[in-house]
Amino acid sequence: MNQHNQEIYRTTSARTGKMMAIMLGICIVGGVIFFSMWDYWTSTPAAVVGMMSETIEHDPKTAFSGVHIPVTLSFIESADFRTLAFNALPGEEGHNPTINANVGDEINFEVVNNGKSFHAFGVTKAEEGFTGIIPGSEVASANNPLKPSESGKVDFIPGEEGTYYYICTVPGHREQGMVGEIIVGPAKSGGSAQAAAPTGVHHDFSIDFIESADFRTLAFNALPDEEGHNPEFRVKSGDEITFSAVNAGKSFHAFGIVSDPENVNNVLWNSAIAAASNPLKPGQDGSVTFTAGAPGTYYYICTVPGHALQGMKGSFIVE
Amino acid sequence: MVLELQKPRPIWQIMFSTHHTDVGLLYLITSLAFLFLGGTLALAIRAELFLPGSQIIADSMTFNRMFTVHGTTLIFLFILPFASAVGNYLVPIMVRYKDMAYPKLNAIAFWMIPPAGALIWLGFADFTWYATPPYSIISAPGPAADMWIFGLKILGISSVLGAINFIVTILKCKHPDMSIGQVPLLAWSFLTSSLIVLVAIPTFAAALLMLLTDRLGVSGFFNPAMGGDPIAYAHLFWFTFHPEVYVLVIPAIGMMYEIIPRFSRKPIFSHSSGIFAFVLLSMVSFSSWAHHMYATGMSFTEKTVFMIGTLAAVPASAMHVFNFIATMWNGRIKFATPMMWAVGGIALFFSAGAGGVVNAAMPLDFQTHDSYWVVGHFHLFVMGTIAFGSIGFFYYIFPYVTGRMYNERMGQIHFILSFIGTVLVFFTQHVLGLYGMPRRVYDYPPIPEWITMNQIASVGAMVIGVSMVIFLINMIYSSGKGKLADTDDPFNLGGKYYYPFEAKNPHH
Repeated sequence: MNQHNQEIYRTTSARTGKMMAIMLGICIVGGVIFFSMWDYWTSTPAAVVGMMSETIEHDPKTAFSGVHIPVTLSFIESADFRTLAFNALPGEEGHNPTINANVGDEINFEVVNNGKSFHAFGVTKAEEGFTGIIPGSEVASANNPLKPSESGKVDFIPGEEGTYYYICTVPGHREQGMVGEIIVGPAKSGGSAQAAAPTGVHHDFSIDFIESADFRTLAFNALPDEEGHNPEFRVKSGDEITFSAVNAGKSFHAFGIVSDPENVNNVLWNSAIAAASNPLKPGQDGSVTFTAGAPGTYYYICTVPGHALQGMKGSFIVE
Repeated sequence: MVLELQKPRPIWQIMFSTHHTDVGLLYLITSLAFLFLGGTLALAIRAELFLPGSQIIADSMTFNRMFTVHGTTLIFLFILPFASAVGNYLVPIMVRYKDMAYPKLNAIAFWMIPPAGALIWLGFADFTWYATPPYSIISAPGPAADMWIFGLKILGISSVLGAINFIVTILKCKHPDMSIGQVPLLAWSFLTSSLIVLVAIPTFAAALLMLLTDRLGVSGFFNPAMGGDPIAYAHLFWFTFHPEVYVLVIPAIGMMYEIIPRFSRKPIFSHSSGIFAFVLLSMVSFSSWAHHMYATGMSFTEKTVFMIGTLAAVPASAMHVFNFIATMWNGRIKFATPMMWAVGGIALFFSAGAGGVVNAAMPLDFQTHDSYWVVGHFHLFVMGTIAFGSIGFFYYIFPYVTGRMYNERMGQIHFILSFIGTVLVFFTQHVLGLYGMPRRVYDYPPIPEWITMNQIASVGAMVIGVSMVIFLINMIYSSGKGKLADTDDPFNLGGKYYYPFEAKNPHH
């Protein structure tokens, strides 16, 4: 069927080899540049980061003192929409109520949008503007606000003394009057998690994070049914304790003492080693020294969500 | 094609040529190189996820960088350039013109790809192929992120230049005796996908610039701290990249339209319905972008509109599938390697489409959003349909390009292993998503079902990896030492199934 007379040229080993040599050369040169500068390529943050002066404030985590302060707030607007406020317009009874609390008290906000516009709630330490909202203190957001007659709830525990502001986080609304003060006084003693007077006694404890081969069971020191599984620690209130933790598993772990093993966020007495967001990698270790607080039964757990339920939970008893 | 050479030329002459087959060859080699580079990253990702915890990748940042470059590479540096390669080889021949309409523009469009690829690979950005704001603005470290943005910018320009070239070649340079309805379906697929590119890409080009100025701090389009809205980026991005999905899949369907009639030894069942379905797909491709954003708090009305818009792609896709089946029906089918890939591609196209249809329903979408279901779904499309069609077509043009036959047995093993691997990985990932595993994670809690399914998926990925090594060996060996191909009928189909040899385009 070959109706053409000209010769057909086909690829040859030599040409294929040349092409492969060129490609490999490019890959090797590229690879050398790539790996030798691996860290350089991710060394500089974006310019905008330096320009954003307001950084997100992280309120220090504080143990809950046991005191609840219920606060009901409603977003209201004047008839001409020029003045915005909480609960009552300026000059009326109950306008932007000031909340008095102590460090560790839980303020239970219940907010409802009784206006015709969109609003959102948050607590900030910033004295002006809508930034610096403390994470976890928001109800809705400026992007997805409460619509008229919608409501929401949030609990907020102030972590340090000073003045906080509860505001409407929709830009501009604070300036129009939707702002109130939260005045936070020093922590009161007597809360369930407060430290007793130091006793001068020191304990050294150490634990290993371990995992079963199938990763279904997690434990401290030894698997269930083995010697030394999740040992129980007993101390006296006010004792100084040093925990050393070693991640002897293949997964990520973090350490902390809590009163409720299902609530991994509320680590007591600054007893955390690493955190779920920045855990101990396999083989890493860490230690922490803290003072045991009020008597009671507590748990030392892995604070990575889910791990306590899979068995990384032991008793820590303060007498 | 090598077949059309007057005499063997040094490699540098091919590299700096503007002839359509030379540019096509460059596209082909570049895209296959990036297929293997991107595939290696995929294997590393699957190896990392074989067990919970840290396996072979040092930290989550490195993991993020790897899957970002994996996605960017395989979409922009493998699938798109591969389609351009096929288009460059065949579109001028199919419309009976001596070259592409603008040969120099064509070469420029190709030569934008290597620098863009270098920017993407050297930087190794970490913000996913979607460049998620606000992360990409305030947290993604430079210069990697900026290099990625510039790389994508260059690739976008390259796509637009290529699209203009295809449109002009097909519409204005086709032979005067040939009506637009007689243009072969492969060329039609390039026409429709190029039209999509022209309409879709400028939106993302704008979004990229906005992203860059946001990173520089001179604007705040997507930066919530400056009053911007990341959801706006999602809309701009998906307005480009949902149609882009069709830009990827339409040429692959066009390639199947070449392969299936040849190996069924029958003419295509319905040429006109193929054209109609291509045009329909290119239009409905713009009616579904917001189905990526059901979970962002859209109103019920918007969601309903985009749900219906998404489902509108079903009839057009089904027309293609029925066209393939009707063509094969009663044909004397020869299951050579290209036909196996095409048929396997149709089967997986159907599976991926079925997953897409149920996923377009809002209630299910809320369950599967950001889960491994989504990963399984789109990988089944890009690997199972697009890459299968493309690799099948590569086997199909291999004898025409090199003048030598590939090893048929190795090609068939490549197909069988790839098919098994693809099913193992991506079907399992659907189920994994329904069990709640989120996508883009470096580590996962040791839930027994998750571990088992991740291990199945990782084993499947390794099977694909093995098949690709066989592919690589086959290509390298056969292009140098393969047996000489009969250029009139390399697949021994009995009859003249390719374009008349006289229609080749001599160098000019």
